[in-house]
Amino acid sequence: MSIVLYRVDERLVHGQVVLGWGSQLLPHRYLVVDDDLAASEWEQDLYRLGTADAELVFATVDAARLVLPEWRADAARSILLTRDIASMLRLARGGLLRGEKVNLGGIHHGPGRLQVLTYLHLTEDDVSGLRALEEEGVEVSARDLPDAHKVPLRTLLP
Amino acid sequence: MASLSRRTLASAFARSFMIQGSWNYQTMLGSGFAFAMLPALRRLFAEDPEAMRDSVRRHLEHFNAHPYLSNVALGAALRLEAEGEDGDTVRRFKTAVRGPLGGLGDALVWAAWLPAVSLAGLSLLWLGAPGWVAVLAFLVIYNAGHIGLRAWGFHAGLQEGSAVGQRLSRASLGNLTARVRAVSAALLGLLVGAVLAGRGGLGAAGPSWGVVAILAFLGGLVIGPRLWRPTAVVLVAAVAFLATWGLMT
Repeated sequence: MSIVLYRVDERLVHGQVVLGWGSQLLPHRYLVVDDDLAASEWEQDLYRLGTADAELVFATVDAARLVLPEWRADAARSILLTRDIASMLRLARGGLLRGEKVNLGGIHHGPGRLQVLTYLHLTEDDVSGLRALEEEGVEVSARDLPDAHKVPLRTLLP
Repeated sequence: MASLSRRTLASAFARSFMIQGSWNYQTMLGSGFAFAMLPALRRLFAEDPEAMRDSVRRHLEHFNAHPYLSNVALGAALRLEAEGEDGDTVRRFKTAVRGPLGGLGDALVWAAWLPAVSLAGLSLLWLGAPGWVAVLAFLVIYNAGHIGLRAWGFHAGLQEGSAVGQRLSRASLGNLTARVRAVSAALLGLLVGAVLAGRGGLGAAGPSWGVVAILAFLGGLVIGPRLWRPTAVVLVAAVAFLATWGLMT
């Protein structure tokens, strides 16, 4: 109940998440799990500009693994975001996200990245990371917006 | 910032108007952003072609935001590059700032400023101004806000660098957006009133339609605050119907 969406999105908190998903899931807070951001105040200031009504919490992956049970038990509804697949995988290690669904939102074009969907460009490491996520008992699928077509991992990867 | 002359900054600002000039799905505003940075990067890295190449590559990467508010990122990126910040910091700044700049800009410009100024132009037309006056007034007012916002953003970015988040938060663009929307709502009300009272409006439609319009208006007052979108649609449709009907008879 209380973590209503796990999402991998390079842009973290932005319009698609706040307006697209936020207006349907009505979260009280966004949990941004990112090692670099957790230590950088000026970056946190910038991301706070994007969420007027909801609380924004920043945590490193290791810290998040410790508080995760608390976040899940909390009555407040949260959307959990990581910037990349590797961070989500580190969070999921040891079956921590077993039975959960992870949504792939946006990973944009970059060197060494192959286009899988218009909003999804993956490296080879990303692909093996996704398979590892599935082995950790996580159901992975891609969908940029709540109204968009949901693409399961099986169709996504060759 | 001694290393960037006024002339170079002016060139970057002028080029920023072309930021959507090579919009594409892979990098969106990326190439436009690099194009605007180019004159400044040429000065900053005149002695070091390799650093210049790295920097241009960095700014060619994916970037997306509202085209006008992108100037905040442009100004700040110019400052970061001029201060010799490392590439990773510049990249992280642009990643963090693009989301809010997109969201704030869409709400302020596309959803508030553009409809408000359009309504002002339509109101002028209804007040009897010639068509070219209404169009000219629209273009002048709209672009005063547009260019003003670009200039403000560029300046704020240059001044604050990566700390521009606090400046943006102090500027409370969200409140500005709400005020512009309130003005739009008032203008829409005036325009509806003008249509109803004007030639081909209620007078021509006859008293029975007048009763319908007044009932629709009262209904809107009661349920409007809760269901403003459907109510507005019904209200506008009713007014449009009455006006057309009045003009045809």
